[in-house]
Amino acid sequence: MVVLDPAHGGTDPGARGTGGIRESEIVLSFAMEVRRALEQQGFQVVQTRQGNEDPSFDDRSATANAQRGAVFVTLHISSTGLPGTVRVYVNSDLAPVAGSNGFIPWDRAQVPFLGLSRTFGDFVQGFLAQRFKGSPETAQTASVRQLRTTAAPAIAVEVSSVTVEDRADLDRMAPGVADAIARGAAAFRPSYVVPTTPGALP
Amino acid sequence: MTPRWKFLFAGGLVFILLVALIFVPILRRRMKRAAKLQQQSEEQARRELTQPIAINPGDPRVKTKLFWASDTIDPALVPVTVDLPLSSDPVLRSKQVLNTLLAGPVDAELRTLPPDALLLAFYLLPDGTAIADFSEALANSIPSGIASEQLAVNSIARTLEANVPQVQRLKILIHGQEVETLAGHLDLTGTFVVNTKPVQAPVQLAPAALTPDKAPTKVAQPERKP
Repeated sequence: MVVLDPAHGGTDPGARGTGGIRESEIVLSFAMEVRRALEQQGFQVVQTRQGNEDPSFDDRSATANAQRGAVFVTLHISSTGLPGTVRVYVNSDLAPVAGSNGFIPWDRAQVPFLGLSRTFGDFVQGFLAQRFKGSPETAQTASVRQLRTTAAPAIAVEVSSVTVEDRADLDRMAPGVADAIARGAAAFRPSYVVPTTPGALP
Repeated sequence: MTPRWKFLFAGGLVFILLVALIFVPILRRRMKRAAKLQQQSEEQARRELTQPIAINPGDPRVKTKLFWASDTIDPALVPVTVDLPLSSDPVLRSKQVLNTLLAGPVDAELRTLPPDALLLAFYLLPDGTAIADFSEALANSIPSGIASEQLAVNSIARTLEANVPQVQRLKILIHGQEVETLAGHLDLTGTFVVNTKPVQAPVQLAPAALTPDKAPTKVAQPERKP
């Protein structure tokens, strides 16, 4: 299963371009394209929002954390960067989870999945780099709030940018971004073994 | 109701509607102007209360590395060396370098922090944790996005790392408060690793001109609180 997270929404428009482009609207249309591409690859897809709502970071993570074996993709449009490029981010290193009571602290739910997130991110970024010149070859590292509380292989995909003069320039990127995410998820699938949590019962 | 009264009533309604159409936009404009004036005066008062730490010309001049955006690789930082008189006190020194960073490079396109952002306070705890409290403009005026927010935090962390070895990790507050994210993306609930090397006394170096240094640099590694 893939949990797709169109970022922002509701009263939070995210990045805004001078031409009236709003990140929250663009990512929703990107999500529909990505969903179609993933379903064609045989994935079941769940979205954290379908319309103009703004679930909290924790609510979005909870959608993925409630599923065993899911992967999480949060979609963003930047307000800087070279237009026409796409970057994949995985969470920066987090301090290891201490203790062995079998539970992962919610605020560090990503810890056991960091390696898998890196593998998944590199697959997706590799396919994006083939399609969008100027994009990096491998996933980048950043302290993305949304990823930290997600107990699944989790990546943020950020498309550049809301500074384009015409929204159609971004819309034209959606099929390529969707195809790269779907191919990346398919390539990642064989290597995905859900990690055992520290202290979990056998 | 007689036709005459009906006519007068309708006429009255039309008159009221016309008056409202003329005066409501005027009233709205005046209210907006008043709110803007109030906002400006609040910002002015805050700026007067939070005057940046002045550079003391008596302090020894030191080659100071400031990390601004690269003009060739996007998004990346590049160190620029500036010859500045810096205090040997780590808190004063941190304030001096961060205020210089906030002032921005000659080329405004290479800024990493909004021009209206202010450093309101800076503390250094005995364990090497620095707490930098910035004005709301840092969060409100920064371009929203993972890349731009990460670049801003990295520029602060790398500038402290290069110039204040006593700072081991960095906590960023906005107007005295812990916030969840900088501008919707970057996690500010934890601390960022700044220096991992043992603390050494700052080295006083010979004066140097304003020169861009080497290639773009590494990313600040955030860590979580236990």
